[in-house]
Amino acid sequence: MRKLSPVWLPILLVYLATAVASAQSFRVQCPTSTLTHPTAANNNAEPAYVGPTYTGTSGYPAATAHVNGAIKCQQISGGDGYATMGDGTQTYMFSFGPLSGITDIANGLPGTEFPNVFNSVYGGTFVPGDPATSDGAGPGPNSLSGFGYNGAVGLIPDTTGNTAAPSTGHVDPRPIEDVGVMNGNIPAPLMALDEDDEFFLTLTNVGMIMRPDLFEQHTVHFHGYPNASSFYDGVPDASVAINIGGSFTYYYLAPDAGTYFWHCHITPPEHLQMGMVGQIYVRPRQNRYSGDLYTGLQQQQLDLRTKCDSTTDILCSNPLPAIRTTAAGPGKYAYNDGDGSTAYDVEYPIQIHGFDPNFHFVGMTFNPEGFVDMKDKYFLLNGRSYPDTVTAGPLATISADGAMHYSQPLSSIISIPAGKKLLLRISDLDVTEYQTLASLGIPMRVIAINAKLLRDQAGNNLYYTTNSITLGGGESLDVILDASNTTLYPSGSVFYLYTPNLDHLSNDAENFGGLMTEVRIN
Amino acid sequence: MKPMTKKPAISITGLLPVVMAAVALLLTATAHAAAPGVRGTNFALSASAAFISQPDGSLVYSWGYACSGGGTAAPFGPATGSACGNTMQIPGPTLIVTQGATVTVTLTNNLPAAAGNTSILFPGFNVTTSGGVAGILTQEAAHGGTVTYSFTASTAGTHAYYSGTQGDLQVEMGLYGAIIVVPSAIPANCTSGLAASNRTAEAHWGETDFRLAAAAYNHPKACYDREYLFQFSEMDPRIHRQAEEQVAARSTCVAGAAGCSLEVATEPYHPAYYLINGRSMPDDMDPNYAAEYPHQPYNGNPHMHPGEQVLLRIIGQGRWQHPFHEHGNHVRILARDGNLIVSATDPNSLAGPLLFTTTTTPGVAMDGIFYWTGKGLNWDPYGHNPASADPLAKLTCTPDANGYNTGAPTAINYFEWCQDHNKPVQATPTGDVAGNGPVTLPDPNILTNGAWYGGSPYLGPNATLRATGCSAGAPAGSCGATGSTPPSGTIANPPASEAGFAFMWHSHNEREITTNNIFPGGMLMMMLVDSREFQIDETN
Repeated sequence: MRKLSPVWLPILLVYLATAVASAQSFRVQCPTSTLTHPTAANNNAEPAYVGPTYTGTSGYPAATAHVNGAIKCQQISGGDGYATMGDGTQTYMFSFGPLSGITDIANGLPGTEFPNVFNSVYGGTFVPGDPATSDGAGPGPNSLSGFGYNGAVGLIPDTTGNTAAPSTGHVDPRPIEDVGVMNGNIPAPLMALDEDDEFFLTLTNVGMIMRPDLFEQHTVHFHGYPNASSFYDGVPDASVAINIGGSFTYYYLAPDAGTYFWHCHITPPEHLQMGMVGQIYVRPRQNRYSGDLYTGLQQQQLDLRTKCDSTTDILCSNPLPAIRTTAAGPGKYAYNDGDGSTAYDVEYPIQIHGFDPNFHFVGMTFNPEGFVDMKDKYFLLNGRSYPDTVTAGPLATISADGAMHYSQPLSSIISIPAGKKLLLRISDLDVTEYQTLASLGIPMRVIAINAKLLRDQAGNNLYYTTNSITLGGGESLDVILDASNTTLYPSGSVFYLYTPNLDHLSNDAENFGGLMTEVRIN
Repeated sequence: MKPMTKKPAISITGLLPVVMAAVALLLTATAHAAAPGVRGTNFALSASAAFISQPDGSLVYSWGYACSGGGTAAPFGPATGSACGNTMQIPGPTLIVTQGATVTVTLTNNLPAAAGNTSILFPGFNVTTSGGVAGILTQEAAHGGTVTYSFTASTAGTHAYYSGTQGDLQVEMGLYGAIIVVPSAIPANCTSGLAASNRTAEAHWGETDFRLAAAAYNHPKACYDREYLFQFSEMDPRIHRQAEEQVAARSTCVAGAAGCSLEVATEPYHPAYYLINGRSMPDDMDPNYAAEYPHQPYNGNPHMHPGEQVLLRIIGQGRWQHPFHEHGNHVRILARDGNLIVSATDPNSLAGPLLFTTTTTPGVAMDGIFYWTGKGLNWDPYGHNPASADPLAKLTCTPDANGYNTGAPTAINYFEWCQDHNKPVQATPTGDVAGNGPVTLPDPNILTNGAWYGGSPYLGPNATLRATGCSAGAPAGSCGATGSTPPSGTIANPPASEAGFAFMWHSHNEREITTNNIFPGGMLMMMLVDSREFQIDETN
């Protein structure tokens, strides 16, 4: 165990002083209405998109032509935890865990909630490990969670006696610590937004119980957010970082539709390797539009914020398509394409990671870690290596607190109903090397890279078909696997996603496993 | 010169605040980048050895090119000395030429005799050679000898040049550089309209235009307002140490004689240094031509104002790929290796990808355009307050056809996104910034401030001084004991004078933002978006 060096003493004293000044600073924020979404009753569901928020050059404080989108809220913990690798090893992580939408997360869904869900107060008593403990979860595979509660953990009724809207954000720290400690997930809690949403993301730093020598801050970096403010960009060097015992609410207007991801930005080679990485995607306005999609995109062109004019804006990616189709909504689309070319039936977010077991062990045991020799030996899809990738339901791991925790809630089984189209939202947050993912059987059609539709400024789609994609850390792309030909892809058939980086088809010393999963035609 | 020292591996998390503080103190506030180099048509380069400096204290034995004749400094010279300082440098001198010109490069081999021959490749150009001795890929300069390459600079844009002799060793040792070909004609829209307004804004705040040209290509979509050149490479210190030892052991050998050669193992490859323009963070944010790095003259310290189109010239000069992540916005890739990527149906439309992570690839040069405007934040990043007594808090925002305040190039909110003008972010007012927004800001005591934190959520010193209750005319006592600086301080982006929005630009293979096991370091820089009231000084 390393000694506290003299240089730390004055710094530590400062920290102690601040701790006294502000003993408990957990807090959540999820307003039921805002200037942008003024009517509380309308903010608990996505309204249909019928036209632009503003037209022409108007803006705040002018009245909006239409109120689009809703309010979404999520609370996450920053701390530590354990996950189970494909060879059965329990691996220590620095990690985020869910503190809202905990049932949805356990069921493999986003933990992003509307205000009426987020602001609901839990009637029972949390026990450490919930929802896994209350579910009676065991090691390995578990069936879907029946826990039921999806509000903000720790939320208590308004202390001013306003029982109608318990949304002042006051929380009781005890359930937050009970649920949040040692409750890390890999990947970190899934987030999903719709364009025009306002998103209130509260990070609550519960501390890393296994590393009492560290008083690590954490942050959230929303990777790829266009025209970001540095305040909410999550880079500790350029903004603020959240100390243990504190909460911070990040505020975003949902950016352009696409597949993004998020991660802690404290000492990235360490916190990312240790597991503080997650997924976030934004669904397009077009999903909420009924009728001719080209007309719908023309509506979006009437609002300067949602317009793509390639003659004046070099960084927009979805001008009106060069070829007008008769495609019509409603439907599910990856982007505001205006021609239906990104339509899909089912979607799966898939994140690629690499874990270096030596680094994780050293990270658990108070020793200084080296970076030059970092070598990943677990290769993960949604935090799982084969064969865990084809296990349904949440994986649970017993942590050092003696409780079961849903450590890897997101299954990596890709299920496509026969005759349907699959959207894979792929991101890579490996910190050491490039990774390739190949599709055996169903070709990949790449429709977007780095959360931007592949379309030239003249409106021509530049999609391409391939059998593999290669990503470095910090990249994402969207591919469609079209299984509409039921002769080629009949019900009951199984295909594979796997890595042709053959040394990545391993789980540490086991030479079979790694970056591989099944695509099942149901 | 002293032998390279190897420091013990130091970690990391615990040391972060200390290291960051130390890092910040090294920064010079006026150091901003650009793309310095040597302009001309006839260049003389010499290859020689020297020691380059790394922020862990190492001096690494390296080989590089020196400009030993020809050309003139452009557009601003080294702080001291002539354009051709005849000093070995990594990367090699950036050669700035005009499209269509005949370019001649004469290479002299001043490497140690044991290093053998050397040469330069100019990929993408049709090269003719004279002199030298035959090599595999091109004519080479023998020890002490010369060779001359000539070619027509047929395509505009950014290009790489590097050694064509024993590249696994010589490129690793530092024999690489860039050629920027300036287009022979500039599209009219790059000098009128918004481009002209941006020059007006620059001049109003006393900034000098250091661009090599108004456009990267003779194409209406290739206009730019500011430019930066980043060359990525790695170093495996064991290779450099072996080369140093073997050169020393053969210091008296005769070139070409038996045994007068190096046998350096270049595999397995195990880099510990990850460089941008030959420097690791934080050295990359020191000035161009800083005296402390005589052999690493080029920096990586981008600054820009909202709305400026910023040209990024990015070259992969090592042997690995690096996913370079630009925080803040996407980059439109204009061209690869000087080849514009345009639509198949409309040559005036671009077709290059939009990337938030621009992968650098060995031997590949990319040109891309980046900008930042704050569009779509849903709050006013300038914290304008119509109820304020401060006229700068009450500036107007008159949207142009695209929604930006471009009609007032001398205003500090030039290029503000007007749809969010005056729209508050805070639920309760602080200082001279209005409330009624969506978010309650936390107690600053539960937060730790970064070295580049501007001191408030807002952009620019005026907004930050007002938000912290420290503006002129603010009620007495509203400004805290630490002034506009938050309790735990900020260092590199002062709240009262710069307060820019800082964004980290870095390799997202995060292991590479370390310097020989020390975080932070490596391929990392902070990009600053500065409000117009802050003068970006690219003099050095």
